[in-house]
Amino acid sequence: MDTYLMSTSRRTLLTFDWRLFAVAAGLAALSVLVIYSTSGAHASLARQSLYLKQATWAVIGLVAVIPLCLFPYRATSHLAYLIYGFLLVSLVLVSLIGRSGLGAQRWLSIGPFAFQPSEFMKLSLIILLARYFEDRREQLHTSRIFVLPILLTLVPMALVLRQPDLGTAIMLLLIAASILIVMGLKIRYFLLVGAAGAAVTPILWHFLHDYQKNRILVFVYPDMDPMGVGYHVAQSKIAVGSGGFIGKGWMAATQSQLNFLPANHTDFVFAGLAEQWGFMGALGLLLVYAYLLSRGLRLAKDASDLFSMITSFGIVSMIAWQMVINIGMVTGIMPVVGIPLPLLSYGGSSMLVNMLAVGLLLNIQKYRYQY
Amino acid sequence: MDRTSRSALHRDSRDRTARYAEAEDQQGCSLMSGERDISNRTAPFQKRIRVAAAVISVGILILVLRLWALQILEGDRLYQLSLNNRLRLRPVEAPRGLIFDRHGELMVENLASFDLYATPEDMPDVEETVRRLAVILQVSPDELRQRLAQGQGSSSQPVLVRKGVDERTVIAVEEQKIDLPGVSLQVRPVRAYPNGGSAATLLGYVTEVSHTQLKSKEFRDFHPGETMGQAGIERRYDAFIRGVDGGKQIEVDAVGRISRLIRQVEPQSGFNLHLTLDNRLQRVAEEALQGKAGALIAVHPSTGEILAMVSQPSYDPNQFSQRLTPEQWRKLVADPRHPMQNKGLQGQYAPGSIFKLVTALAALEKGAIRPDTRFTCDGTFNLGSHVFHDWKKGGHGSLDLQQAIANSCNIYFYHTALKAGIGEITRVARELGLGAPSGLGLGSEAKGIIPPKTAGSPEAAGWYPGNTVMAGIGQGMVTVTPMQAVMMVSAIANGGTLYRPWVVRKVEALDRELIEEYGPERIRTVNIDPDNLAIVREGMQAVVSEGTGNRAKIPGLRVAGKTGTAQVVENSDSQRGDKRDHAWFVSFAPADHPQIAIAVVVEHGGFGGQVAAPIARSLLEAWFKLSDESIPTQPAGPEPTEGD
Repeated sequence: MDTYLMSTSRRTLLTFDWRLFAVAAGLAALSVLVIYSTSGAHASLARQSLYLKQATWAVIGLVAVIPLCLFPYRATSHLAYLIYGFLLVSLVLVSLIGRSGLGAQRWLSIGPFAFQPSEFMKLSLIILLARYFEDRREQLHTSRIFVLPILLTLVPMALVLRQPDLGTAIMLLLIAASILIVMGLKIRYFLLVGAAGAAVTPILWHFLHDYQKNRILVFVYPDMDPMGVGYHVAQSKIAVGSGGFIGKGWMAATQSQLNFLPANHTDFVFAGLAEQWGFMGALGLLLVYAYLLSRGLRLAKDASDLFSMITSFGIVSMIAWQMVINIGMVTGIMPVVGIPLPLLSYGGSSMLVNMLAVGLLLNIQKYRYQY
Repeated sequence: MDRTSRSALHRDSRDRTARYAEAEDQQGCSLMSGERDISNRTAPFQKRIRVAAAVISVGILILVLRLWALQILEGDRLYQLSLNNRLRLRPVEAPRGLIFDRHGELMVENLASFDLYATPEDMPDVEETVRRLAVILQVSPDELRQRLAQGQGSSSQPVLVRKGVDERTVIAVEEQKIDLPGVSLQVRPVRAYPNGGSAATLLGYVTEVSHTQLKSKEFRDFHPGETMGQAGIERRYDAFIRGVDGGKQIEVDAVGRISRLIRQVEPQSGFNLHLTLDNRLQRVAEEALQGKAGALIAVHPSTGEILAMVSQPSYDPNQFSQRLTPEQWRKLVADPRHPMQNKGLQGQYAPGSIFKLVTALAALEKGAIRPDTRFTCDGTFNLGSHVFHDWKKGGHGSLDLQQAIANSCNIYFYHTALKAGIGEITRVARELGLGAPSGLGLGSEAKGIIPPKTAGSPEAAGWYPGNTVMAGIGQGMVTVTPMQAVMMVSAIANGGTLYRPWVVRKVEALDRELIEEYGPERIRTVNIDPDNLAIVREGMQAVVSEGTGNRAKIPGLRVAGKTGTAQVVENSDSQRGDKRDHAWFVSFAPADHPQIAIAVVVEHGGFGGQVAAPIARSLLEAWFKLSDESIPTQPAGPEPTEGD
């Protein structure tokens, strides 16, 4: 045992990608700082303690990364179907007994914790697809092999859409599509599935409540709600733009502080950052993300097996899509759908999932020399 | 230690060499025999991953360019906007739908009202502006300063200085606009009731949602300051009437004047309502009840359409459209005559002699009496040791059923009630809609009280023949609402169909597109022999032609009716002052082909025949004059008899 631990820790220290870990830790710390700075004296007491909750989740996430590095990532491959099944059941449970927040049922309470299965489904889908394709690596040239993955994506998507959580449903679609296209799914098949999906939409639509339909309609057509979404985007653009080149400085984010920005700690957290630290800060953040993504892409490119290739590529696509859509939405070039900024937006489930994703990248990095 | 539960970690600890061997086993074939295979196989993936990397780079580049555009190119302008949060959001309230009577006469409309706002932050010289504004508003500058200080919630929000300013103020503010930076007028549609208190309890009124309402789940879609219907039709049909609010995003300049309208979403007007009500008839009814407390409901007996509905005294719903002062509110709520109550639906009164119709029907149904069954009335009725009296001293002598109804003889109905039994009386009452809300759906409706059916057996605890005797003439444990009374009369008039009363005929969009249309709704065909109903109808005609209701007589028109005088207190002083009995009159006409049924109750009015019957007559006259000019209106014939 002792020899094992020693050798493990030595090997871990030697092969551990400290820079990648530092990036994740840095982003989490930044998240706490921005949330703290935008929940000023005007905010309600409940809002003021948000940064503490976020700090707790950041620490839990960082600690969770460590055991994930200790056993070979291939173990997750064995659990892929089990995790997927568990989350699928959780999603069904959410629609039955879930806790409501802001009109949507997304959370499942376990004791004092409220966990959001849809967030975890993103990572689970990546591992599931990785396992699936690795198991069938000899048949990759056939088109048939793509049928099951498409179904495995559509089922949780439909459940998530029912909550309704358009943002996460879109994420599941984009993640799966990215992986399938890299695996060789012809674009024309993808379009075919897209058309089929469009055909199914009215049926799914039928199952939604009126207020859920309204919520989705407002997402798609912000003009429908002049006091709501459209207003948020206008205010968010002012916040980002008013930051200028170097920003208004720490704690000087008047726009995002004074509650002009609703939900400024969740989906609009970037506005607070851009207002305080300006173009330099925003650019810096983009560079950090770019570094994180390039690490993941290198792992995918150099991978010696399909599972680690797909997993790392899936994680890259998950983080990249979320980042581009979220910042695009905050700066007014994309429609407002609820997609959090990875590792920065407020939210325990989101923080934990993205930390676990980084943990998987670290694990793949560590073990890649061993096969 | 089992492998599955401890997973790979344990394998690792136990035997690393074995694990490596195992790994080689798993991948071995490809590693050993075809390393090139793998690289060949992953080659297309590597190419696609490079493409993905390029796509991601382009995405990040777009974001950088967007940030450059917002923060560097537009940075200064947006910084200026953020300084004062110069982008303001102003909701634009949608006008509520209009309400028309059955002939298209406007009953409820919207008028423009001006609210005066001030934004101190936008005033270069607050003192100067306050001084000027104080002169215009005719208040002291101190008062105005205080108002501004109180109203200021967040830094740059305009403060509502005065709601609904008069025309003179509007003109003065507009004229001095340049000298009043930071002062603005906002137009707001307010609900207006051109007929004032007419039909007020039926139409309802409109106010801002209260803090309490905002907290409840039902109002989760409302925001503070939004107006909504609070009673009557305004409340019940609010979803149709309210429309969709619009909004304006405006940029204001350094002194708070609107410099640019960024985006505007037009409000959508609410749907219009067309009622079954006849506004002309409504006015006649209100005039007839003027100065009294009570209720009147007129319906079409074979559809259930409400033609007129009066509750007196009333209130002016216009005062709710502006801000109601606490004193005004207290006065309305504390008024012992309950002006806010719709007495037609919520007033519960002993029915008095109008209930004799039920008793008569019950006895006929049971076969206990026939139309020619006679009882002799000598003014008193002994039951055990108790003596019951007739309203006429000395009695009516011998009478049959028709004469008993016409003269509203108590003694006759004491006998009849005992013969019918309380069980049958209760059944007939319930068949005719008594003891249950009418289902009109406008606010809370009283159920009235009907003796419990189980009380039909003499053994039932606490129920004695004396109770049955009292119930038989509509006293004691019986109360009805005017709405139930008119439904009962309608069912008798139309030969036995109970209709749900309704007041909204159709809902129309602004472009006259039909949104909803309503029609008669049959509650049930009453389980009462139509022949018996006909007998009672004949008795009701005699009431008007030669009985207690002759003040409702109209030459050339066969009117049927029944008077009622409901005892309020059981003593002989009951015909004096505040404690006088409630006066009832129910009627329909023409008797053979009824087109209108009416119930009138006048609180503490005294005798039904004296007080309520003439009110019904004026309404009938008006109705047939309005619908057919040929029927002459002359004063009623012989001197009315005194009494019930």
